Amino acid sequence: MTRLLCLVWPDLRIPGVDPPPFEPMLDALDDLSPRIEAVDLGVALLDVTGLGPLFGSEPRIAARAAALAREVAPLPLRAGIGENRWLSALAARLARPSTSGAPVAFHALERSALAGLPLTLLPADLATRQRFVLFGLTSMGELAGLPRSAVGAQFGAVGERLQQLARGQDPRPLNPRRRPERLTARAAFEPPLEGIGAAALTLRRLCAELCDQLHARHLAPGRASVALRLEDAPQLAVEQTFPEPALEPDWIARLLLSRMEAAARLRTMEEEPRVVGIGLAFDRLADPASRQLPAFEAQAGRWEELRWSLERMRSRFGEGRLWRAVHARPTAALPEHRSQLVDIGP
Amino acid sequence: MTHQALADALELLRDKGLQQGLGPMPPALPSGQPGLDEALRTGGWPRGSLALLDGSGATTLALGSLAACQQRGGLVAWIDGDASFDPATAARLGVRLEWLLVVRPHDAAEAVELAAWLARAGTIDAFVLDLGRFEAGRGLDRLPALLARAGGVGLLLARDRDAAGRAASVRVALERRAWLAVGRDLVGQRVAATVVRHRWALAGGRAELDLWFAEGRRIDPLLPALAAPLRELVEERPALRVLSA
Repeated sequence: MTRLLCLVWPDLRIPGVDPPPFEPMLDALDDLSPRIEAVDLGVALLDVTGLGPLFGSEPRIAARAAALAREVAPLPLRAGIGENRWLSALAARLARPSTSGAPVAFHALERSALAGLPLTLLPADLATRQRFVLFGLTSMGELAGLPRSAVGAQFGAVGERLQQLARGQDPRPLNPRRRPERLTARAAFEPPLEGIGAAALTLRRLCAELCDQLHARHLAPGRASVALRLEDAPQLAVEQTFPEPALEPDWIARLLLSRMEAAARLRTMEEEPRVVGIGLAFDRLADPASRQLPAFEAQAGRWEELRWSLERMRSRFGEGRLWRAVHARPTAALPEHRSQLVDIGP
Repeated sequence: MTHQALADALELLRDKGLQQGLGPMPPALPSGQPGLDEALRTGGWPRGSLALLDGSGATTLALGSLAACQQRGGLVAWIDGDASFDPATAARLGVRLEWLLVVRPHDAAEAVELAAWLARAGTIDAFVLDLGRFEAGRGLDRLPALLARAGGVGLLLARDRDAAGRAASVRVALERRAWLAVGRDLVGQRVAATVVRHRWALAGGRAELDLWFAEGRRIDPLLPALAAPLRELVEERPALRVLSA
């Protein structure tokens, strides 16, 4: 029988939490189950079917999930287990902190336990709830016991769906997330390199290595981040989002180097930093097929090349230098209103 | 030696120089003015050159050159030192705005440095460095070398003609000879273009260019047929008085 564990972090449900450590929590939960769905911000659903022999009873599984999540952020957590999405979500909603000192608020819910629960727990709108009251229906058991055709006649398709939930039936499957892939490469320097520029060749080599790996899989990175470990200074890290997924090791290396030099200038180091190691990571992997589109217009492909230079120019000279003219109102009466300059954003 | 004989000898010298002394001619980007392309003797702006346009109609000629470059599939840029670049005028003169980069530097040194970045990148086929009110900054001298390496063309518009002229490998002097009018409306100007300096060919080529203000692309094809040169206006009355008369 399927068992789904629903985890709810109430603090993450509050708008404006900054930064929400939700994704890292999901990554940590991968150790418990590979089938995880991020239902919403602060709500996760795990397939824990058959994990009993490995981790013990269901409260223990929930406690283990809570421990994994707490390693990322020690936030309050409610956990519920049921045989489908609806039952596990409702169980998490009904979970209350234990007085016996259990580490997580946990509740397990079976179909048979639904009959005594009030109808207000169903996800119904106000009008439907008022109609339930008019018909004298107050508990899920009462709604579940009615003939389906009668419920459909009085409440329509919405009523039929709510009756299914009141009976503990939820056909929606779990849609496990695809864990974002991240490729990394590292190199160490012994003795340390003098200056950031000296790491350029190694950075180029690391970029080429990762690009080769991705090329074989017909993928390209949408973002690169590089971190330089310095001998007597804090780590220098920069991150660059590309205009589009690109497999251009030379351009990527030049762009990252330019960003690192700009970041080093901002730190106003008195002498050239000594580099002891470098780490490169590619993520936001995507299909690079869109690069074929510029072939249809002569300038388009070259403009994409130019955009890489523009990124470097922006990091060197700052904002407000690079503009592009666009036809804003082609039918405007005055020619000067037909076009305008817009800043070329990142 | 008579004046005519001197001119013939000079012409012969130019041809011999082109054939023997000055090596192979570099590929060129058209200027948008066939007469000027012929006067330059290289078929247009030589790739890898920094050309100074000096005189009346320089901006119009530069925009026409960018449009001609775009028609060949090139990417172009306008470095707008004066913050006076008008996209509407550029579009009316045939520049495709979607493939035009506009760069707005904060000072002369930055303008030259940005031009050097564009020249080095090699993806821009032609750019106009409009220094406007700025004095020609340091670093202008190394632009031709960067352009030569990447094969781009730089067109320079500057008031500081001495410093800019020293850096330029090609210099074209433009002098207005007449206004062009349709009825009472001025629609362009006729300028005499003289190649004052040329690194790859002998200087001295001349051409007469009709530069249109291009008041709407629709009537452009009709302008050459309709327009008449008004020499007397140049000599007797400034253009603005003619418009208000």
